[in-house]
Amino acid sequence: MTTELVVNGEARRVHADPMTPLARVLREELHLRGTKAACGEGFCGSCTVFVDDDAVASCLVPLGMAEGRSVRTVESLADPAGALSPLQQAMKDNDAVQCGMCFPGMLMSLTALLEANPAPERRDVHEALVGNICRCTGYDRIVDAALTAARAATGTKEEDAS
Amino acid sequence: MSDVIGVDLPRRDAEDKLRGRTVFTVDAAEGGLLHAALRRSEVPAGRIVSIDLEPARRMPGVRAVVSAADAPGRYGITIADHPLFAVDQIRYLGEPIAAVAAETLEQARAAAAAIVVEVEEYAPLLTMAQALADDARDLHPGWEDYDVLFEGGERARNIGWEATVVRGDTDAAFARSDVRVIETEFVAGRQNQAPLEPRACVAGYENGRFVIQTSTQVPWAVRNSTARLLGVREADVRVVVPPVGGGFGMKFEVSLEPFAALLARAAGRPVKLVNSRQEEMQTALCRENAEIRIRSAVTESGEIVAREAVVLMDCGAYGGEQPFLTSMTAHTLGGNYRLGAVRLVSRAVYTNTPPNGAFRACNGTYCTAALERHTDEICAALGMDRVEFRRRNVLGDGDLGSTGQVFEGDVLAPMIDRMVALRDSAAPAERPDDGRLYGTATTVGTWFIFVGPSAATVNLNPDGTATLVTAGVEIGSGSTMQAIPQLVAESLGLRPEDVTVRAADTDAAGYDGGVGGGRTTVSLGAAGVAACDEVRRKVFDLASEMLEASPADLVLTDGHVAVNGVPSARVTLREVAERAQAVSGPISGSGSFTGIGVQPMSGCAAGHMIGALDLPVFAVHECDVAVDPDTGHVEVLAYRVVQDVGRAINPRAIRGQVQGGVVQGLGYALHEEITIDARGKVRQTGFETYRMPLSGDVVPVQLDLYEGAPSFGPLGVKGAGEVPILNVAAAVSCAVADAIGKPVSQIPLTPQRVLGLILDREDENVELRHIGPGWRANVIADPEELMAAAGL
Amino acid sequence: MTVQTAPELYQPTSLDDAVERLAIAGPDAAPIAGATWIMRSPSRGESFLREYVSLARIEELRRIEDDGASLTIGAAVTHARLAGALAGYPALEALRQAASASANPSVRRQATVGGNLCTRDFAAADLVPALLSLSARVILAGPAGTTTAPLSRFLATRDTQPQGTVLAHVSVPLAPVVSAHARLTLRRAGDYPVAIVSVSAALDEAGVVGSATVAVGSVEPVARLWPELASAMTGRPLDADAAVRTARELAGAFTPRTSVEADDWYRLQVLPTVVGRAVRALERRGRAGRA
Repeated sequence: MTTELVVNGEARRVHADPMTPLARVLREELHLRGTKAACGEGFCGSCTVFVDDDAVASCLVPLGMAEGRSVRTVESLADPAGALSPLQQAMKDNDAVQCGMCFPGMLMSLTALLEANPAPERRDVHEALVGNICRCTGYDRIVDAALTAARAATGTKEEDAS
Repeated sequence: MSDVIGVDLPRRDAEDKLRGRTVFTVDAAEGGLLHAALRRSEVPAGRIVSIDLEPARRMPGVRAVVSAADAPGRYGITIADHPLFAVDQIRYLGEPIAAVAAETLEQARAAAAAIVVEVEEYAPLLTMAQALADDARDLHPGWEDYDVLFEGGERARNIGWEATVVRGDTDAAFARSDVRVIETEFVAGRQNQAPLEPRACVAGYENGRFVIQTSTQVPWAVRNSTARLLGVREADVRVVVPPVGGGFGMKFEVSLEPFAALLARAAGRPVKLVNSRQEEMQTALCRENAEIRIRSAVTESGEIVAREAVVLMDCGAYGGEQPFLTSMTAHTLGGNYRLGAVRLVSRAVYTNTPPNGAFRACNGTYCTAALERHTDEICAALGMDRVEFRRRNVLGDGDLGSTGQVFEGDVLAPMIDRMVALRDSAAPAERPDDGRLYGTATTVGTWFIFVGPSAATVNLNPDGTATLVTAGVEIGSGSTMQAIPQLVAESLGLRPEDVTVRAADTDAAGYDGGVGGGRTTVSLGAAGVAACDEVRRKVFDLASEMLEASPADLVLTDGHVAVNGVPSARVTLREVAERAQAVSGPISGSGSFTGIGVQPMSGCAAGHMIGALDLPVFAVHECDVAVDPDTGHVEVLAYRVVQDVGRAINPRAIRGQVQGGVVQGLGYALHEEITIDARGKVRQTGFETYRMPLSGDVVPVQLDLYEGAPSFGPLGVKGAGEVPILNVAAAVSCAVADAIGKPVSQIPLTPQRVLGLILDREDENVELRHIGPGWRANVIADPEELMAAAGL
Repeated sequence: MTVQTAPELYQPTSLDDAVERLAIAGPDAAPIAGATWIMRSPSRGESFLREYVSLARIEELRRIEDDGASLTIGAAVTHARLAGALAGYPALEALRQAASASANPSVRRQATVGGNLCTRDFAAADLVPALLSLSARVILAGPAGTTTAPLSRFLATRDTQPQGTVLAHVSVPLAPVVSAHARLTLRRAGDYPVAIVSVSAALDEAGVVGSATVAVGSVEPVARLWPELASAMTGRPLDADAAVRTARELAGAFTPRTSVEADDWYRLQVLPTVVGRAVRALERRGRAGRA
């Protein structure tokens, strides 16, 4: 069966059963493999994408319920030929990346946070990441990078990160 | 002063990973791929009465079905006890019985489910206590006939391996009238590595050879084990490894690859096999659960005159890593402190549970926790300060380890001093009067670099850049992205970005022991530097003609060969490389490395694959906790680490490893619990109930990198990625015991367990009745013969 | 064995259509709203049903309406939207806290009020005790028309509702109360709570409790009211320490459950502590209200 979606700004038509997880359709049919699917139950966050304005776990979104909606994936954060987004750049500058599997989801959850709250406190970042597991880094640099990106965007002065 | 070493260079793979472009094995999607599924056992123990594969063969989309008849071999590390598919017997729930490849994953799963398996169930032996009972059924009838791949361990029935240490007259020391005897028991649970990328592979069959792309840490071990299981030549298996989405030890042995290989050959098409998260939860090669008893005889002045310990390690249904890891008890539990006499026994015990495997600082985490809890109990008994006792008793220059190896340099004691300084450098953690119980602990730990063979080739390209070819895998730690290219760049006077690192491919690179055991930067780095030495010799030979100078006067710097002291006399490396094209042909070098082979004292260690540590690594950890007496919740308030790194090639990268390793340790100590129900099923079926730390559960680790300890690693380096998890459970257990004023004998310290301890609930009492009294009651070998071998 | 055919998804835009479709489809169909529980069926080892009828595109089920006497919340409202909408309702703080703390942020953006109340096997649902404590009623649409019932009665009968019944709305009275929601997770957040306590109380000007409602979630398989504790709190000022003591005395009334996360004894042991946290939050709110 055919379902129409807008994916990263482009109208797409996909062919899968309506209860197929959106994550699977993105990965297998649209080849947007930045979206990972590490737990399949909404706990690890590696499949986080935007559906309309909400960052959600795409492993729990039935394709049919996303019909006609706008989906944004990690691949939309930066122009493929252009510079990284400020958040991505902050992750790179902080040497935050290790294995990399969690980052697409981390970035989408943090993008949602920064869209809703451009000047988060450290605590807000922790709360925003309750549904994102990183097994490598111990999180500290990810949180620092998110705060750095927020400060850069809002022009707030660098403050003690502690 | 180098501008490459000791510098925080960024990792070259960060940008693609942040853009979501990196293609992990789990992302593989080439055209024409078949999808595979395993039919796994639904019971933990039994005799296979019959298997009917025909229903699967008749299912839609099915292209191949394989089972035990297709895989004649058995593999293992010390004992080849592990068949690919269950043969005759089921030994754990989740054990593979057959494999199916089909056009879609759903078809493969449906066909796997359609296979009819008839099993006569046995009562499962799910705990080591059950497996060690006198009347217990043998999990491996015919264990005497298995191929022994490494000689020396004692074995008997459900004891898959036993390693012993005997040094000095322990009996006499325990009998002294001026000593106190302190005894501690400790129990540690399993820990699932839970890398976000599950085990996954894609296999093809090309020109009579298996070509396997896989998410592994050990391409060469996969090559060799696959060949052994399938009964083909090792040379007929090629393993290539793209970026790996986390390993932490779970991908340190063969796993799914032979299934996919068999199916690919049978179907004539490439086959992809990926474990679901549920399969990973049931069958992960976890850090083993362990049960430990330690006894020590100490004098009133705090001298440890004798130590005795029994360590039981649950290997699950097959031996795997654990028989090998019994070696480590000598160095983790038997290490750290000066001991007058010592006697240890470490046993790998078969149970009807999923096989366990390797996990970052294998064996070290729980042995260190048990040892450090024991040390705190000694201090309490003697009324001695816990830090001062450690400072006085830790191994220093010239001291003997448990197996009699002589340690070099004073490292741990000055590291303890550095910890005190680190603590004093920050404001002390507040202890408000909020009804919580506050505690702190300082712990020491000894780990090692799992050296062993590595090979490297360095090609100097005509454009003056270099390509490093090794079987080193990038598992996320950054070794092949940061430290190793930094070492090669330093050797050849190049910028790190001018060093290309070839992804691991057993057809291109020489043998390597794998990425794990903290060995990558040391072993691959040393092999790489040795390869560079050959390149340098060839470059200097050629450049000496071009510059009319002696090769001995030449240096490599900034992409040039220059005459030392004459800055104007230089040629670019590119010019030398181009010249080589005409004169000698392209320049390349090969290098290799293995350990230096430090030996234990004669007769002290039996059954040890590692009798002494070539390259020890030390760590001092300290943590402050607050415990809620009403709920049992433990909050880690501060965490401090002093880590022996030899020399820090990339300090920022090391800090990232330490933060990540400590947090994994906090999960092990506090949150991550695996329990197995009466039917042999792991109760934690996903990340809902397997609770790994989240960002709000952790603290930033305060870290002091200790440089300058002896190391034969390249430029004096030691691996830094494995050791950070080593004494986290120790520090947390000791700090919680300090806070609640009661012994802590079991991890993880979940809120329920801690509250049970506070309330003195009986279900929190640890009593290891299946460990016999004293050391002698727990050895298979004749204890008197072992003593005689050690000169007693 | 046969390959299961893929489940259907029917997406009506009217409640009547949904009810009719469910009534015709029979027991092999069920409503779906946020999908967060149903999409996990395969990982629980459960099969999908033959058909799901989505409530997500039914406009009236996505609304939150205030008629002055009560707040009517559509079944398809997500936790995140509910939490946002409750910012101006201090009396409903228990519900706001429940909606803004459950699961994790992405699940809250997707999971709905209806799903939380209708998922029989989900003992740790946060909204259930919160709504119980606020004396919510459910509005059920079915082939025979619309009925309403107290949430507590719905919880007891939700398995035996006639085919085609849809929980359409929840109605929460806008009473002059203070309320609070306390939940005990094993990590700081991100897991399902092992015990939940929601409390509401009407306070007079002196801060004396005129009436109280206490609900407990996750301790037993289904959340329920704790009238004995509520009575004990009535007629005196809020006193968290006293509430903890009383809760300890009365906790024997619960038959706690054991699950992978925690044993029965632990849930019972921590229940008074969680009561204390909820009542302490009420004390703060009561003081703030009088100030």
